[in-house]
Amino acid sequence: MLQKKVCMLGSFSVGKSSLVRRFVESIFSEQYHTSIGVKVDKKVVHADGHDVTLVLWDIHGEDAFQKVQISYLRGMSGYLLVADGTRRQTLEDALALAHRVTETMGEIPAVLVLNKCDLATQWEIDPDREARLAAEGWRIFRSSAKTGESVEQIFSQLALAMFSQ
Amino acid sequence: MPEQAQRRAPVPPTPENHTEDQQALEELRHLIVAPEQEGLQQIRDRLDSMERRAEDVSSVVVEAIQMRREHGDDQALAEALAPTIQETLRESVRRNPQVLADALFPVMGPAIRKSISETLRSMLESFNEALEHSLSLRGIQWRIEAFRIGKPFAEIVLMHSLLYRVEQVFLIHRETGLVLNHVVAPAVATQDPDMVAGMLSAIQQFARDSFKSAGEELLGSMNFEELEIWLEASPDAVLAAVIRGHAPANYRLQMKEALESIQQNFSSALAEFKGETGPFRAAGDPLHQLLEARFVQKDEGRRKHRAAIIAGGIALAVVLGWIGYSSYLLWEWSRFLAALRQQPGIAVVSVNKSGGRFHVQGFRDPLAPDPEKLLSQAGFDPQKADLELLPFYSLDSVIVTRRANEFLRPPVGVKLSYKNGQLHAEGVAPPKWIAQFEERAPWIAGVNAIDESHLQNSDLLELNRLKGALESAVLVFPLGRTELENGQQAALAQGKMDLQTLLLLAGRLGGTVTIDIVGHTDSTGIEATNLPLSKQRADQIFGTLRRAGVNPANLRPRGVATSEPLRAENTEEGRRYNRSVTFKVAFSPAPPVH
Repeated sequence: MLQKKVCMLGSFSVGKSSLVRRFVESIFSEQYHTSIGVKVDKKVVHADGHDVTLVLWDIHGEDAFQKVQISYLRGMSGYLLVADGTRRQTLEDALALAHRVTETMGEIPAVLVLNKCDLATQWEIDPDREARLAAEGWRIFRSSAKTGESVEQIFSQLALAMFSQ
Repeated sequence: MPEQAQRRAPVPPTPENHTEDQQALEELRHLIVAPEQEGLQQIRDRLDSMERRAEDVSSVVVEAIQMRREHGDDQALAEALAPTIQETLRESVRRNPQVLADALFPVMGPAIRKSISETLRSMLESFNEALEHSLSLRGIQWRIEAFRIGKPFAEIVLMHSLLYRVEQVFLIHRETGLVLNHVVAPAVATQDPDMVAGMLSAIQQFARDSFKSAGEELLGSMNFEELEIWLEASPDAVLAAVIRGHAPANYRLQMKEALESIQQNFSSALAEFKGETGPFRAAGDPLHQLLEARFVQKDEGRRKHRAAIIAGGIALAVVLGWIGYSSYLLWEWSRFLAALRQQPGIAVVSVNKSGGRFHVQGFRDPLAPDPEKLLSQAGFDPQKADLELLPFYSLDSVIVTRRANEFLRPPVGVKLSYKNGQLHAEGVAPPKWIAQFEERAPWIAGVNAIDESHLQNSDLLELNRLKGALESAVLVFPLGRTELENGQQAALAQGKMDLQTLLLLAGRLGGTVTIDIVGHTDSTGIEATNLPLSKQRADQIFGTLRRAGVNPANLRPRGVATSEPLRAENTEEGRRYNRSVTFKVAFSPAPPVH
C-alpha cells in the first residue's frame, strides 16, 4: 500500500477542517488543533491506477499571532493550500505561506483550493488573478465544503501531482 | 626484440624481387598480425555464439551475486530477482505442487505448530486468569470494583493480574510519520494505525518545538492512565510500543536491538522511502517478538502451603467427624439399651457389636412394648441393629397387671394392681365379675394370691342405697285416717319400686331381708286409739305392697303409735310427719362360702 503525508495549510477559518470533516476518516477531535496545532486524519484515494493512503496533517490555521510550525511539514509529499474565496487576504496569506514552504523545503506538489464557492455573491477573487496564478503553475480548485463540490477531485489531483513528481 | 628490429630493416625495391617482396611482406604481416587476428576472431566467435556466452556467464554468475551482496546492495538484487523467483515458484506449483510442498514441509510444520501453541498458550493463560478470578473472593471484589468504576470485568482483571503487556508496536518512518509496519497483540482494540502514528509523530514534533530542543532527540515515553508509549528512534525510523502496565527497563534494550536490526536490514528502503510500505512487511517478525506480556507471578509456595493446610483441615474434619459420628452412634445405642433394659417385659441377656451392626439377645413378653418402636424413638436406625428377643412370660408387676387386665377385663371403676405375687382388685364390681375374678385371677401367670378386700359388690352397694332411700321415705296420713294423704301416691310408688329392687338384689346376694312397715300416729288422741290406728296404717301399706306382688314373707307391719315419733310435735308440720308409715330394713348377708 502506498502512503503519502499530505499537509493542509491555510489561514485561520478558511474552512480547512470543514473540507476534510465530511470526506476523510477521523478519530481525533478538533481540540488537537488548539492544543498541539495539528490533527492527523486519513483519506484513501484512487489515482493513476493506485490506491493511495493520504495521511492528512491538518495544520492549525495561520494568522497574525500564530505562524505555522514548519517542522510539522517535514516529510510531506504534497499539500493543499486553502484560502477563503470570500476573503481576498486569505489568498495572499496562503501564497506567502506557500512561498515560505518552497524556500525551506523546495518545490513540493500542491493544490490551491479556493473554498466557500457556494457564496458566489461575496466572492472577492477576481478571475484575472486566478488566471495569473494558474499561469504560474498552480493547480486551482474552487470548492465548497458545504456542497461538497470538487472535494474528491482535489485529493485525486494532489495524488496525481505527487505521482508525477 | 633484436630479431624484430632486424625484420623491420628497410629493403631496396627492385623489379625482380617485387613479387618476392610482396610475399615477404605478406609473410611478415602474417607473422606480426596473425596472433592478434586470431585472438580477435576467437573473441568475435565467442560473442556471436550464444552457447559460448552462456558458458562464460555461467562460470561467473555465482561469484557475481556474491560480490553484489558483499557490496551491501542485496535489496536491489532481491528486487530484481523477486519477479523471476515468484514466477518460477508459481510455475513450479502449477506443474507439480508436491515438489514445493515436500521442500517446504520441514519448515512449515514447526512454524504452524509454534503459531498454534503460542495462540493456545495465551488463550489458556487468559482463560485460567478469568476462571480463577471469577470464582475467588478476590474475583468478587474485582467484580464490585468493575461495577463501581463502570469498566468491563476483563479490564479490571487485566489491571490487577497483568504486570505489563505490549499491546501494539508501530514502526514509523521518522521523517514522514507514516506507518511502515504495525503489529497488535491478540484481542486488543486499536485505532487506525496510520492516524495514530501520524499523531504520535506530530506530538514528538510538538514536544521538540515547544521545548526548543536543538537536536533530534525523541521523547522516550508518554504515559496515559495505565498505558505507556515507549519510543525508540534510529536515523530513519521510530519504534513505538504501546504498553499496558509497567514494562521492565530491559524491554527498552529489546526495542533498541530490534530497531537497530531493522535500520540495518532496511537501510536503503528507509532512505529511499517514497510511501511504499511493501518492503517493510518483512519487519513484522522482529516487531511480533516485541509483543509480550508478563502476568503477576503467583506465589506457588504459599499456595502449596495453603493447599496443605486446607487438605489437612479437611482430613482432620473428616476424622473428627467420623469420631464424632461414631461416638454419637454409641451414645445413641447406649441410650437405647438403657431404655430397653428399663422396659418392663424385656430382659436383655447379651449385647455385642460386630461388622458395624449391633446385636441384642434376650426375651420379651408379648405385652412388652415393640422394640423396633423403641429404636426409632431413641433416634437409632433400626436397620443398624439385630434384635433377637424370644417370647416369655414376665413376672414384672407392670406386665402381670397388664396381663390381668387383658385377661379379666375389669369393669370401669375396678383397678387391678400386682405386688409380690398378689393381685389386688379395688373398686366396685358386679358380683358376677367378682366371682369371675375370684375364680380366674389365680390362673394368671405370676398371680399366687388375690386380694379383693377393697373390691365392693355393686349389688350390695345398690341395696344399701335402696335401704337408705326406703328408710328415709315418709308416707303421710291425714289425722285419724288410714288412707294416705292426697299426693302421697307417687312417694308410695317410688317406695314400692325401691323395695322390689331391694328384695331382688338381696335375693341375688343370697342374704335375707326383713322390712318393718312401721305405722305412726301423732300425739293427739289417746294411746288406746292411736295404737290400732298406727297398726291399721301399717297394714294399709302392707296390703298395697302385697297386692303389688311383694313377697309378704319379707314384710312385717307393726304399729308403734307415738312411741317412735319422727319429729317433735311443736308444729303442725311435725305432727303431720308423725301421722305416717316408715320402713326399717334389716339385711343379713349370706354367710361366706369359704
